This record gives sequence, C-alpha cells and structure tokens, in this order.
Amino acid sequence: MNMDLETAQMLRDSAQRYADDHYGFLQRHAVLNDAAGYSARAWRDYAELGWLALRLPEADGGLDADPLAVGALMEVVGRRLLMEPILASAIVGTGLLRLQGSAAQQQEWLPRLADGSLKLAFADAEPLGGAGRCEVRDGRLSGAKIGVLHGDLADRLIVSAADADRGGAKTLYLVAPSSAGVATTRYRFVDGRGAANLRFAGVRAERLEPADGAPADAAIADVTEQATVAQCAEALGIVRVLVTTTGEYLKIRKQFGRAIGTNQALQHRAVDMFLLQEEIAALMLAAQRALTQPAGTRARIVSGAKAYVANAARHVANEAVQMHGGLGLTEELDVSHYFRRLMVNAALFGSRDEHFSRFLAAAPTVTETH
Amino acid sequence: MTDPLHEARQRVEKLKAAVRHFYDDVLPEDLKRKSVRHQVLDKADYVRWMRLLNDQGWAIGHWPKEYGGQAWSLLERFAFEDQLARLGCPWVIPFGVKYVGPVIYAFGTDAQKARFLPRIAATEDFWAQGYSEPGAGSDLAALRTEAIRVHATEGDHYVVNGQKVWTTYAQWADWMFCLVKTARGTQAQKSISFLLIDMKSPGVTVKPIPTMDGYHHVNEVWLEDVRVPVENLVGGEGEGWTSAKYLLKNERTAGAIVGMAWHALARLKALAAESPGPSRERTAVRIGELELRFLALEEASYQAVEAMMRGTDHGAEASLIKLRGTELYQHIAEAAIDALGLAGIAFDAAALHAAAPPPLGPLDAGGIIKDHLYNRAATIFGGASEIQRNIVAKGVLGL
Repeated sequence: MNMDLETAQMLRDSAQRYADDHYGFLQRHAVLNDAAGYSARAWRDYAELGWLALRLPEADGGLDADPLAVGALMEVVGRRLLMEPILASAIVGTGLLRLQGSAAQQQEWLPRLADGSLKLAFADAEPLGGAGRCEVRDGRLSGAKIGVLHGDLADRLIVSAADADRGGAKTLYLVAPSSAGVATTRYRFVDGRGAANLRFAGVRAERLEPADGAPADAAIADVTEQATVAQCAEALGIVRVLVTTTGEYLKIRKQFGRAIGTNQALQHRAVDMFLLQEEIAALMLAAQRALTQPAGTRARIVSGAKAYVANAARHVANEAVQMHGGLGLTEELDVSHYFRRLMVNAALFGSRDEHFSRFLAAAPTVTETH
Repeated sequence: MTDPLHEARQRVEKLKAAVRHFYDDVLPEDLKRKSVRHQVLDKADYVRWMRLLNDQGWAIGHWPKEYGGQAWSLLERFAFEDQLARLGCPWVIPFGVKYVGPVIYAFGTDAQKARFLPRIAATEDFWAQGYSEPGAGSDLAALRTEAIRVHATEGDHYVVNGQKVWTTYAQWADWMFCLVKTARGTQAQKSISFLLIDMKSPGVTVKPIPTMDGYHHVNEVWLEDVRVPVENLVGGEGEGWTSAKYLLKNERTAGAIVGMAWHALARLKALAAESPGPSRERTAVRIGELELRFLALEEASYQAVEAMMRGTDHGAEASLIKLRGTELYQHIAEAAIDALGLAGIAFDAAALHAAAPPPLGPLDAGGIIKDHLYNRAATIFGGASEIQRNIVAKGVLGL
C-alpha cells in the first residue's frame, strides 16, 4: 500500500501556512461569533487552494487525496479548529456523491463542490423511537433527520431514506433545503459549528443513481469510515496543541514559589498526555492504512481507532483544562474550545460505544491469535 | 448514656422528611422546573430560593441559636445539603450563610454581628468571595491585593488596591468578603486580613469572565483606591489567615456533592433506559461501576462526618469527600453526555437562559451539557484536587 507522501506534504504545508496567516485564535473568534457560523471568505480560499477538490478524481481536476493526505489537512483543521464544512462537504458529501451519483449527477455537482459553490451536508441520523423514519414514495421524501452537521448552511442535503418505490431499500437522495415541505431548525453544536434538525413533508428528492447499482448501505459505511479516520486526524491535531500548551503552562505558572511543572505528580500526568498523543498518532496512521484495504476488512482497526481516540482525547482535554485551572474553562483561552470540539467529534459518525461494539465484533479472539 | 450521634441521626431523619415535604408542597414549580432541568437561575430566582430556605429556618440551620440558627450538628448540615441536592433543588448560595456568616459570628465584633448577620440570614445582601487572584489560586498566601490603613478625621479607613478573580456572582453582589495584605515583608500568613467591601464603593469594577458553558458565573473584580472603613475588618489585622482557614473548612465539608452525584446518577439511569446504546450490557456495567463508587462515597462521607463529630477524624475527611465526590460527579456527567448521543452536543445557551427546550433530546439535555462543561471547575475551584491530595499526603500520610 503506497500512500502519496507528496500530496500529503503539499496539503500539510498549504494548510499550515493558510491557517497560520488567516485562522488565528482571534480570527476564528470572529467566525465563531458571526451569525453564519462559518467564513464565506475562508471557504472561497479553501476552494482556491484546492482543498475542496481533495476527494475529486484527478481527471476532474481534483487531488484524489488518499487517507494520508486527507489526514494531513484534517490535522490542521483540528489544530486551528476550522469552522467550515470541510469534513461534511469535501470529504463526506463528496465521497457519497462519488460512490452513489450517476455519471450525469457527478458531472453536474462535482465541479460545484470543487469551486465551493456547493456545500453538502449528510443527513442520516433520525429521532429515537422511529417516529421520523425517512421514506420516499413516488419521489417524495417524508420523515425527519436530527443533528445534521452543517445542515444549517448546506446548499444541498444528502438524505438517507427507505425507497418505498423499490422495496424499502436504503437509498440516498439529494434535497434542496429551500424546497417546499422542508422545515429546518438551525442551531449550533456545543463547539460552535452549525447543525440542523430537518422535517420533510412530501419533499421532491432526487435519487442518487449509482451506475454500478451499488447499495447505499455499503457506500454509507465506507464514507463513515473515511470520516471516522479523518476525525482521528483532527483529534490528533487538537491533542498535539493541548499537550504542547499544557506543557508550556506547567513551566510558566508559578504557585508556592515555583513553576507548577516542578511537581512530579504533574510531570507524570503530562507524560501520560504525551503517551496518549503518540498512541493516537499511531492508531490514526494504522487506520489510514486500513482505509486503503478493501471494505469489510478494516472495521477492527478503524473502529478500534475511533474508540480509543475518543477516550484518549477526552482524557487529554480533561487534563488540559484541569492543569490550566480556572483559565481552562474560559472562552478567552483556546483550551476550552478544543475541549468542546473533541466532545462534538466523539458523538459524530458513530459514538464511542458504537465503534467499540464494531471493534469487538471484528476482533479476533485471543485464542485465535495464539 | 445517650449517644449524641444517635440523636443526631434521628433528627436527620426528621429533617429529611421535612425537606421532602418542602420540595413537594412549598417549592414553587418554576424554580423546581428550572433547577431539575439545570436551566439558568437568575439573581431574583436565587434570592427567592434562599429566602424560602430561610423561612423554614434552614438557610442558617447550622448557625448557633443565639444568632438565629438551630445549632445543627455537622451531620444534620451535611444530610440537609445532600437531601436538597438529591431532589435536584437549586444551589444553596454559600457565600453569605455558609462562608462569611460563620466568620462574622466567630471572629466579628458585636457591631458587625448586629449589622450583617440578620441581613445574611434573610439574603438581604448578596455576598461574593474575594479570595483568588491571578497569581494566587491554590497558593492563597501569594495574594497581592493591598489594604493600606489611612488615618483621617472622618474615620480611619483602608485604601485597597488589587485584583480578584473567579469571583462567583460578583455581578450580583452587594458585598464581598476579601483577603487582603495589610502588612508587607512579614510572613504571608501574618500579613493577611479579612475585609468586608461594599461593592458599591467607588473604585470597584466587575468584569465578567465568559466560560465555555455560555453562562456568566465568574468575574474579575478590580479594586482601585477603594476606601473601606476600618470597622469592616473582621478579626484583627493580620489575622485573616485564621478566618480563611475556618471558612475553607466550612466550604469543603459539603454534603451537596453527594446529593448531586446521586441525582445525576438517577438521571443517567433513566437516560440509558430511554436511549439504549449498542450494548445494554456494557452500559449497565458502566452505570453499575458508577453506582458502586457512589456507594463508597456515601458511606465514606457519612462515616467521615460522624468521625468528625466524635473527634476521631484524621483531619483530611473533607478532602476525601471533595476529591471522591467531584471526580465521581464528573464521570457521571460524562456518561450522561455519552448517553444523550447527538443531544449531548446540541447546545443552545440562549434557550437555557430563556428556560426553553433544547434543540434536541429531553428537556434537560441542554442543562446536562451546561453542567458537564461548568463542572469541570468542581475539581479546580474551592481547593483544587491537586491541593486536596497534598493535604492528605502531608496531613495524614506524613509525606
């Protein structure tokens, strides 16, 4: 499995340079406080930098980035807490469209994804209890979706629904949120990124028609795994910042006449944070490699990575807050923003518990390995 | 021979029954609802709440009878706080009735007692605690706020300069009790004094410190040439450390954390039942482990309180209760966030302020998020966990 180191390095450099210049803490603060919850200017810049064509085929002017390259970008997304829908649109939305769109649909939408004029959000989760089960009958979508990342600002939604016209198979549809019959409740996730709950009442929906007739379930599973691994990279970017800034704070914060970092108890806890960072990095890379393997063989590594990273990153964030004292809880310090971003990521694209279950189901038992 | 503990236990049972009756029949529905959903209570809500408690004789139940209290034993006080929190009642604002009130009746002059205690009991004045400073958090002895005594014809006063930080609800406070330095160069513990500052004094500026739960809890308080009459000094000059230690002991022996953990655990169980995750068995084990830790906390706390009453305590019981209580509470909160799933990350702070439903999930979902976020401070404020462990290491283990 050869991964494209060059593209990864190019993306990493480009992302770091851009984020250093345009996405500092205060600049991000302005985006956070903007009613739109994202920066249209930054989005245009991402398009120009080619990031939004990350997952497009080279034939269509894209980077055809492999998991390593996607991860290189996502690490910076984490490091600077970019607010724009790179994950939702350029990775998940684009990935679904590529796997499930017909040639005509891809021709119509992919260029618009690349130039930034189309932002996609993937609406999959439904309310508990089955009351809002999404179904399409005679080309009309009814039902409800919840917790849609960037569903507040998407130009099109990719909605999963049972296709009653074809025996109830799970199918993906393109829906314009401005269509008649769509009721959108917009809000923010706790990290400030936008989200929405949607209700559909007989909404015109365009079915994605994969040329190979591949089932939507498999495509969703595939793209969810890509998103999961991308999130591991994002978590690594965040954890690296937290480990570094906490270490710095231990050196400068003085209590009882000396730097608090001279306390061995705190040194050891800082070391544990660092060890978790290294494990996150290792699992992320393992998961990126696994993604290049055929679908169906990678659940153990990918879900194992998410399950481990979610808990490890939570521990790092908790410790970062604790060791910064009261400051760690404040809006004015970045630590609390990283804390909240990790909280959101842990719940998206499968909870820790769901991924742990997948890991257990896929794991070889001890007796099998010996 | 009658066992004083036996009597105290009997009184506790009566008190708990009375608290439950109060919750069912007296506490207004709006306060109950806001509190159970962890929504935002404003100053008027808290003042109403504290006065309701005072009507029952409970706001100052732990005060001596001569100051209007009921001379509760430590056990009664602890169980009272525990029981209120188990029911999901609002926070008993401690700054007046628990913190400064006892310092005033223990160390204050008759004039100070007459002036302040009745108003504290009835929450006529809202109090804030001016302890921490930017350079003096865990290390209170490092504080730098200075009070210089000035002789003047209209009466001696102090001129106070400095900055306090993490001052909870200073934006509502009429008064702030403050640790200040009244002497330079001497040993820190002998240079600190306990001063009561009228927040309306010229030179007092309160600036909010926004926290990640989107709510205004804490502040910076800037003191610039604030004139404080000398009669607002409690205890002698340079004796503030004694008052501070007395107060911290009251601060840390808190039954509320036990009740809060119980309440959160009960809610977690209900949440897990409402939205079972991919493995019921694993969820049950996770909750069971938390419940077992709660049992240990509950037993250790009450036995610690009884040891304190018997005088057989090792001196670090308060640290044990705070460490185990706050850390368990945080773990329960994390499990609740996990159980909420997407509803555990959908957060609308404005809805919480307006007592409106959250964007997703049960009616208390937003409050559970807010609590999870802000209660990261539970292991930081009021003596950080690291400091509590130092206390045990030094005081009990002799390390």
